[in-house]
Amino acid sequence: MRKSLASASLLALLSAGGAFAQECADPVEITWSTIAGFYTDAMANFVKSFEDDNCAKVTVVNIDNSQLYNKQVIEMVGQTGAYDVVTLETAEKAEFAENGFILPMTDFFADKQELLNDVSPTLRAMTVEYKGDVWGLPYYTYTAGMFIRQDLIDDAGEQAAFKAKYGYDLADPTTWEQHRDIAEFFTRKAGETLKGEVLTKDFYGVGLMAGPFPEIQDELSAPLWGMGSDWLTAEGTVPVDDVEKVLGEYVEELKFAPPAALTVTYDGVMNQMKDCQIAMTHGFFLDQWPNAVKTEDNCPGAKVAAIEAPGKKAYVGGFLLAVSSSSAQPDMAMKFVAHIGGYEIQKQFAELGGASTLTSVLTDPAFATSERRATNGQYATLNMIFDSMSGFSSNLFKTPFGAKIYNTMQIPLQAAAAGQITVREAAEQLAADVAKICGGPCPIAN
Amino acid sequence: MSAAPESAGLAGSPPPGKSGMSDRWFSILLIAPAMLITLIFAILPLIQALDVTFRMGDLSRGKIGDYVGLTNYRIVFADNQFWQAGWVTLKFTVVAVGLEMILGVAIAFLLHGATFAKGITRSLLILPLATSAAVTGLFWRYLYDTQFGVLNWVLGLLGLPEPNWLGDYTIALWSVVLFDIWQWTPFVALIALAGLQALPKEPFEAAELDGASKWRVLTTLTFPLLKPVLFLVLVLRTIDCVRLYDAVAVLTRGGPGTATETMTFYLYRTGLKLFRMDYASTMAVFFLYVMLVAAVFALTPLLKQFTDRAKEA
Amino acid sequence: MQRKTSIPLEVLRYGAIFLVLGFFVFPIFWMVLTSFKPESAIMVSPPRFLFTPTLDNYYHAIVDKNFFFYIKNTLIISVISTAIVVFIGSLAAYSFARYNVGDGHILFFILSTKMMPAIAVILPYFLIFRDVGKTAVGKALHLGLDQHGALIVSYVMFNLPFAIWLLVSFFQDIPRSLEHSARLDGLSRLQVLRKVTFPLAAPGIAVTAVFTLIFCWNEFLFAYILTRKLASTVTVGVESFFTLQGILWGPVAAAATISVAPMLVFVLVMQRYMVRGLTFGAVRG
Repeated sequence: MRKSLASASLLALLSAGGAFAQECADPVEITWSTIAGFYTDAMANFVKSFEDDNCAKVTVVNIDNSQLYNKQVIEMVGQTGAYDVVTLETAEKAEFAENGFILPMTDFFADKQELLNDVSPTLRAMTVEYKGDVWGLPYYTYTAGMFIRQDLIDDAGEQAAFKAKYGYDLADPTTWEQHRDIAEFFTRKAGETLKGEVLTKDFYGVGLMAGPFPEIQDELSAPLWGMGSDWLTAEGTVPVDDVEKVLGEYVEELKFAPPAALTVTYDGVMNQMKDCQIAMTHGFFLDQWPNAVKTEDNCPGAKVAAIEAPGKKAYVGGFLLAVSSSSAQPDMAMKFVAHIGGYEIQKQFAELGGASTLTSVLTDPAFATSERRATNGQYATLNMIFDSMSGFSSNLFKTPFGAKIYNTMQIPLQAAAAGQITVREAAEQLAADVAKICGGPCPIAN
Repeated sequence: MSAAPESAGLAGSPPPGKSGMSDRWFSILLIAPAMLITLIFAILPLIQALDVTFRMGDLSRGKIGDYVGLTNYRIVFADNQFWQAGWVTLKFTVVAVGLEMILGVAIAFLLHGATFAKGITRSLLILPLATSAAVTGLFWRYLYDTQFGVLNWVLGLLGLPEPNWLGDYTIALWSVVLFDIWQWTPFVALIALAGLQALPKEPFEAAELDGASKWRVLTTLTFPLLKPVLFLVLVLRTIDCVRLYDAVAVLTRGGPGTATETMTFYLYRTGLKLFRMDYASTMAVFFLYVMLVAAVFALTPLLKQFTDRAKEA
Repeated sequence: MQRKTSIPLEVLRYGAIFLVLGFFVFPIFWMVLTSFKPESAIMVSPPRFLFTPTLDNYYHAIVDKNFFFYIKNTLIISVISTAIVVFIGSLAAYSFARYNVGDGHILFFILSTKMMPAIAVILPYFLIFRDVGKTAVGKALHLGLDQHGALIVSYVMFNLPFAIWLLVSFFQDIPRSLEHSARLDGLSRLQVLRKVTFPLAAPGIAVTAVFTLIFCWNEFLFAYILTRKLASTVTVGVESFFTLQGILWGPVAAAATISVAPMLVFVLVMQRYMVRGLTFGAVRG
């Protein structure tokens, strides 16, 4: 279905741009390095309209998410100019900016303020701005909330049992204590009942991403930021006690998660949810909504909801498009950034089920209808999260060592989750690792 | 490389030379291309790496920086994680190579005595070898998965405990070992089998006439005769295991925590994630040094065998 | 060596062989099975053995992801690398085997380069090829980044030690007397090499070629660092199935099956030859 939508819009674009395409004899070539996957494939289709309008030739290089960072740094350090437009994780922007790998786009956006202002302010503060400059546009957001099996929460029998056990009403969790209780409550063995029906396989209260991937820190960002703390203090050090506290609570919840929690990342959790194995997630990327909602097809009576994480804070992620400073065609590259991050493309992108970054798209009533629920059903929650987190930013995104820290911090965290070291040791090791990476307290820009 | 004009080579060492080049020049010419490639693409990068070990080298901050003396060596040697990774590598190598050798030789004996369906057996055995760890490792991750994997499903049906193969830090390394055994035991088995089949018949017939026990034949004849070929395989497997990267990268990424972080994976993390080329190069140089020292002991008997035979005749 | 056989022992033997084969074949069987599964039958518990087979995964891999592009690159790179390795390696190995060049020291040096961890040299390689690619020679030979030549040179470098090692023992097994008499018949040294020695060593050279090809075909790290798109190989291509929506298991299985298939066919064809070759080289090690 999506595929036919994509090709239909592509056809429309092609016929519109056809006249230009013929006149363009000597196109300007630029290359965009980005993340492999369906949404990027869709974006690649949109590249076509840019090529036709601007007499350009855009090559899209798809790279596995886990390799994107190092691959891009290598090309930046080597100053190969191979990638004109790069794709950066939120935590990587400061490093690329500080080291001169990417070009500031403040001047470029001087006459495009409406576009810049259309990027949700919360997202803009964290993904776009650094040291007073603008460094590109985010084109995709994986900002976190959480997914929950609403049918379980709404079940009268379960509600009664929950109240009897915990002394308060079963509802969407608003604190991490409630989150823990719900996780515990719904953890059942095969043979026990769920919603009055006998389970044929084990059921777990929560799906966690404690595998060897940089996602456990995304999960932990939710309770850590929620308690008013951060990965780095204003002095640039890790608040060991706070990390110990949230990590300790997290490790407690692992008891209520499938054993695979120690080996998987978000796709594993989504598979568990789609296979009717878990009741909810921890802080989780809401861009996975089209994936999560498939649970309703697979599990009889299931209803999935995207809600705000307890404490109303969670990881804010966006893939930033920025222009490499070794690009031979910076002007064209910048135009391309504005094109992909711009309203036209973002709107079409949203129609395919993409998690757009623009307020005008996210609040477009056309996406709030029940027909669009399977593709854009998380938009309302996303808007709520951006409102709740308005004015917030993490120091992790303000240090030029953010990328290295981000790509290392899962190691002690996961070691504690697996029981290899204690929670306290993990927090201390994280502090030591971070100090080693920064060579002392990490510099924090304002 | 037909640089040597053929007409000039009419004479050589056996018949006393007329014109043309000497054996010495001919032999040097033969190794020249291999030497050239090795010199350029092994020595040049090595010299670069060696140079970086004495300098500041945080690549993500731009260029290779100033000379800092032996600071990098001090830091690397004081780094617990470095020694930890070395220890993991050692454990992995000893267990994986040990088991692969034992199983490989056992399988070779098993197949050697078989008369039925030999070709198909050997062909099937080669399968794991022909695949890439980067790809089949992915499917092993799937097999090992506690929620969706076949392995635990079967164990569950049999009422056996269902281990968290890659998530339990006490067994994750052995799960990687199991994968390596799967991929490389056939290599050992096939070479050992070839060795078995090539054994000369006479000594065995003589032993049988003497009424020697099977065990005695095995220990006094079969294994001594197989020793050279087994030793070659042992050295090859050891080198590959010590440099293990792909399997770890795809199965565990060094996790959980650092439980399966081998030397090369730690090198990768330091060099290509943290971009501390100074530390990474220092580790690599030290690693190479240790390997070379070990190689002098391991390779000397092999080399002696080569050179002795080359001097024959 | 036929020994007296007892029935129970033979049952035990074939039972054991069956188990061993099951262990080595099952993961690949599972991969191939997955490639024919619809998405709804892959990540499900309990694992599903019965399903309606589909070719969608192959369609996705071949048409949507153009996977044959990676196969083509891999084919070009590994075949050329293997040819060069076998050619250069044979010359050098012959020299070591017959003339004892360097009295073992040069051989040790070449072998020792195999011990170098690839990760340590990958960035120097990257910079070398970046610069070489800008020169006239580099352009002519496609030695730049994301060009086939760069990977070929790397693979030649990293497979040469192993190849020479194997080949030396093969050459030493060829009786010198044959070469001697050929020389006395008036053949030049190179003619002897071409007409007598190499044909005799063919099984050994075949074994070396098979292993080299397998190693090149399955290499990941160099392919990943030194290429971007145009020269990417299958191991890198598989990564494009690791998407933001998770790993596309069905298409990955299809792609993996497609990329393993040529190696399997090749190995099966060479199998007889290989065993002869291995036997040949293994007599004395």
